Amino acid sequence: MFKKNYNPENQPKAWLFLLPSLVIIFLFSVYPLFRSLIMSFQKGTLINQRYAGIENYQKVLTDPVFFKALRNTALFAFTVVPIALILSLAIAWIIFEKVKHKSFFETIFFMPYVTSTIAIGIVFRYFFNGSYGIINYLLSLVGIAPVNWLDNVNMSMTTLIIFGVWTSLAFNIIILLAGMRNIDQEHYKIAKMFGANNWEIFRRITFPQLIPTFAFLLTVNIIAAFKVYTQVYALFGGQPGIAKSATTAVYYIYDKFHIAGRPGIAMAATVILFVIILLVTFVQNKILKKVGE
Amino acid sequence: MLFLWPDMLANWIGNEKKKTEGQFLIEVVGLKKVFDNKFEALKAVDFTIEKGDLVCLLGPSGCGKSTILNLIAGLLHPTGGDIRFNGSSVVKTEPKDRNIGFVFQNYALYPHMTVLENVMFPLTVGEKKIKKAEAKQIAETYMRLTNIEELSQKKPGTLSGGQQQRVAITRALVQNPEVLLLDEPLSNLDARLRLKIREEIRRLVKEVGITTIFVTHDQEEALSISDKIILMNEGVIQQNDDPQNLYLEPNNQFVAKFIGNPIINMLPVTIKEGQMMHPVFTIPLARFTDIRFKKPVPDGQYTLGIRPENVLTTTQDALFTTQIKSVELIGRERILNFDLADKHVKSIVTIEEIIEEGAEVAFDFQYKKAFIFDDKGERVY
Repeated sequence: MFKKNYNPENQPKAWLFLLPSLVIIFLFSVYPLFRSLIMSFQKGTLINQRYAGIENYQKVLTDPVFFKALRNTALFAFTVVPIALILSLAIAWIIFEKVKHKSFFETIFFMPYVTSTIAIGIVFRYFFNGSYGIINYLLSLVGIAPVNWLDNVNMSMTTLIIFGVWTSLAFNIIILLAGMRNIDQEHYKIAKMFGANNWEIFRRITFPQLIPTFAFLLTVNIIAAFKVYTQVYALFGGQPGIAKSATTAVYYIYDKFHIAGRPGIAMAATVILFVIILLVTFVQNKILKKVGE
Repeated sequence: MLFLWPDMLANWIGNEKKKTEGQFLIEVVGLKKVFDNKFEALKAVDFTIEKGDLVCLLGPSGCGKSTILNLIAGLLHPTGGDIRFNGSSVVKTEPKDRNIGFVFQNYALYPHMTVLENVMFPLTVGEKKIKKAEAKQIAETYMRLTNIEELSQKKPGTLSGGQQQRVAITRALVQNPEVLLLDEPLSNLDARLRLKIREEIRRLVKEVGITTIFVTHDQEEALSISDKIILMNEGVIQQNDDPQNLYLEPNNQFVAKFIGNPIINMLPVTIKEGQMMHPVFTIPLARFTDIRFKKPVPDGQYTLGIRPENVLTTTQDALFTTQIKSVELIGRERILNFDLADKHVKSIVTIEEIIEEGAEVAFDFQYKKAFIFDDKGERVY
């Protein structure tokens, strides 16, 4: 029996099924977004807030620590993302082309993704240790003097970038492998029959068909890199590097909110970071579209 | 001395001509293929293909026809036997050096390239690659041949199945191969388009003069366009013959059953003392044409194969009379269905012969067009 107003293309019932996720999204994503916007115009403690106008923004934008944090974040994002993407593309291609038992290697490469960053950070702290770390030991084998990876103001960003690249490989490789697997095997067979070599096959068949996957990863990676926090926390044992040398934007926000007890300033910084990420993503999409054409 | 010149020249030209005209042969000798899972796809297959011929590998799924194609292309390695092009073995040659063009069932066109780029692709990769401008010129020549010039700037995704097919064939031809291999070229097309494209394929490969091998499971497709048909079953060639012979002179029961639509009627019979006996009728062997017997027929169990169009209605000397169970009208034909000793039998008559369901009809066979198979399925008549 059809109801009088039955319409197969528009069923109000659908809202019922969407409701749970809509409630959760609204409660934990949309509301906090506006709440932090409001809080960025308030000062005082969390239980006693007063309107403050643009005072918070003035403070943040004149704070040299904030600019240092932004510089670090940008440096992290614009080095880690391209290096990690190129490396993962190379590794994914090698696994896809040359390796038998692909699923085994896929599992191996995916393990870091399911392991907690904190745990990886602890292990890396040992690797990077200036006096007994394995990295310095390996470097000494090829005659390079030991590097003070963790406790040198000038090295902490480099160390963080190496760590950042390593932690983003897993996800990228898995997604790229999935993208490669989606390409028709016969495209390769026929290309080989035409005499194309591996490089030509990669450049003219694999890569062009991976561009949508690549664009997706680029967007996700950039956003994640701008929000970098856990890696810093894990690598430097809860500190933003020696003498705050590896402070990132989110670290600054966390510091202002929890340590300094200035939620207003933290929220102003949050809004600024939000706008920056929005702009970068927007510009990046524009560029990708241009490149795509 | 001077007078010898034209002679020598003629001789020399003649020799040259002979060389280029020399029959290009694909020789397949004792070809075997056993897959890793122990499946024996080919059991010592032998055949030859002449230059310029359009040959069809026909057979049901799993008969080994695609395996042969992949072996010739070099996508699979044979377990035994040899494949020779122009007399020299190619088994150890890489696919790219075999001078073949291959078209996959799903065409495998590159979705991110335009039609022109797709067709140019083979010319712009590998050791033999040529300059872009030159490649474009060659590609355009072939695209004119296959009538796809106006599609050159389109992406494969926007083309119809038939257009994609033509692009795939053009791309396979552009390296000027000696052999064109087509794997189920028409199976992705709708019925009407299939008729059109199959004729187009024939016209095209004949125009280019390229030796072509194509694989299909559709007998009608095979019968309509090929010069030669190699009919396979269970890794063995059943018959390698002209299309018409496959229908008129099948080697064995499998061929007779596979070729022809509606399917041939098969009736189990006993031959004893010069009589062919069936629960419903008895035919003296003398009724069959003497010279058509290929072997002597000792008494025993046989199968009488008779095509529906050779089961005739008759008004006199009926072999048997039976009740029609159902009637199908297909275009200008009327197909009568009835049972003979629990075997379903079809007879094709013209539409003018008005026979309705339930009618009692008298039948006879056209004996000179019947087949008799022995208990091994080999044809004896």
